[in-house]
This record gives sequence, structure tokens and C-alpha cells, in this order.
Amino acid sequence: MDLIGFYNLLLDNRGVIKVLYGLLIVAICLIIVSKTHKLFHLSLHQGIRYLRNAFLFFGIAFFIRYLIAAYGFFYPTSANFYLLTKSLFEFFIIMGGFFLLYSLLWKKFESEKNPKYSSLFNFNILAFYLMALLIVIGDYLFDTYSLMFFSQILLFIFISIISSINYRRGEGRHKFLKFYFIAMMLSLAAWILNAVSALLLNWDIGIMINIYIINMIIFLLFLYGVIKAIKK
Amino acid sequence: MAKKRERFEVIKDILQVIRGSRKIKPTRLLYASNLSPQMFKSYIDELLEKRFIQSETDEKGKKLFFITKKGNDFLEQYQIIDNFIKNFGL
Repeated sequence: MDLIGFYNLLLDNRGVIKVLYGLLIVAICLIIVSKTHKLFHLSLHQGIRYLRNAFLFFGIAFFIRYLIAAYGFFYPTSANFYLLTKSLFEFFIIMGGFFLLYSLLWKKFESEKNPKYSSLFNFNILAFYLMALLIVIGDYLFDTYSLMFFSQILLFIFISIISSINYRRGEGRHKFLKFYFIAMMLSLAAWILNAVSALLLNWDIGIMINIYIINMIIFLLFLYGVIKAIKK
Repeated sequence: MAKKRERFEVIKDILQVIRGSRKIKPTRLLYASNLSPQMFKSYIDELLEKRFIQSETDEKGKKLFFITKKGNDFLEQYQIIDNFIKNFGL
């Protein structure tokens, strides 16, 4: 099969590819959430709690985008169905990113001595909910993904910087910090490619397949990190 | 200057003292934990609420703390949790 044939094969089966991709990511998120949930209950550590929330929200986002919205890959759907799943996906993926950032920064905003009662509903997280809502509403009104892309690119630049500092501080002693940094750089690359593909190239399938592969590597890296770190 | 202990480490230290003594009076635990009385109370309240420790009264009416299975599990998993927190920069 030549390259054009392969490209056409991908194009013909894009619905199936998206569903399989969504299933894999949701499964990885479920495992990470379950493992970190157990660790949180044992340790009462807020950072683990926020990391768990990040993957919970990523999992919900991918479930909505690639499994619930999968109906739209195979059958015609209404504009309302598209807008609803798009907005929900945006909200949860943005919140996942915010939770990931906050899991690295929570000590600067919360007292370790008086941990927040709820990690999903507190004043600090409320600010993130409001920002996510504003981005989703903005994108909804202009029927675009631009605000989400730009906010996520900015967010992952910030997380990449923090993870690079963590990596340099813990070099040699904590091996996953390197992979964390790599995962964040890959996330940044994936969001940039996503923005280019969506805003300039009309969701080019070739680029999208590359983004799916990058995303799978990122989630698999985190799964590896979680499993390796908790292995006795 | 000694590094300030993280909350997570303080919990480990308190549980280790309790486990080492099997049953311990609050005053002895307060001295051993190296915390202010106010901080000590907030940690103990939380450990009791989360069932990492329990309390009972001895024949003289004095309160004693002892570690629960959940508290023991925490100590056994401490290295794993500590490793996880450091590897993820949390």
C-alpha cells in the first residue's frame, strides 16, 4: 500500500480510529484515577488529590469527545448535539489542565496545616471553573476552538517551565521528573499542532493522527510513572 | 537550620511514635512530636477523624492513643507515597 492508499484508509476509518483512541485514553485515565485515589486516601496529600482530579477531568473530556460524540462520527447529528459535546469537552479538558497545574502549585496557595475540605469545590478551584467557563462561552459564541487552544498553549508553557525546574532540582534522585518534563513538552507540541491543524488546515487528518499518537505517548508516560512509582 | 517538616512527614513521625509505644498518652506524644500544642491538636483531630489512630481510656481514666490498621498501612506505604510525591513534583 502506498502513502496515498494509507492516507485514504485512515480517512475512511477516521470514526473507528477516534473511538479506539478515545477508549484507550479513557482506560488509562481510569487506571490513573483509581491508583491516585487510593494513594490520596492513604496519604491525605493534597497534591496527589489534585493530580487525581486532573486525570478524572481528562478522562471525562475524552469520554465526551470520543465516545459520546462518537455517535456523530457515524450518523448525522444536530448542531445542538455538536455544540453541547464540544462545549462539555472543552470545559473538562481545560479544567484537567488547570488541575494538573494546581497539583504542582497547590502549596503556594493552600496551607498544608489546614487542607481544603473539598478539592473539587473550593474558592481557589472556583477561579479555575470561572476561567474555564469564560473560555467555553467565548468559543461557543464565536463557534471556534481558538480560545481553548491559546489558553492551553499558555498553560502548558507554564507547566513545562515548572516541570523543568522540578526536573533540575531533583535530577538523578527522582527519575520520573524527566519523563514528566518530556510529557509536558509533548503536550505543548500537541496543543500547538492541534491549533495549527484546526485553525489553518481544516483538521488535517495527517496532523490529527500525529496528535493522537503524541497524546497516547503522553498518557502512557503518566501511566508508566504512576505504576512505577507505586510498585513495591 | 533544619528543614521545615512537611505535613505528610509530620503525620509519619506521629504515627511512628504511636506505633513504637503501642499505646501512648497525649502529653508524651505531644513532646515526642515536636509540635506546638495547637498544631498537635489539629493533627490528632485529623488522624482520629480519618481513623489513622484511635483513643481509649485506661483504668485510671487517662486517654491513650493507639494506631489502627489504616495507620499501619500508611507507615508501610510511606516510602511509596513519598517516592510518588517526589517523582511527580507534587
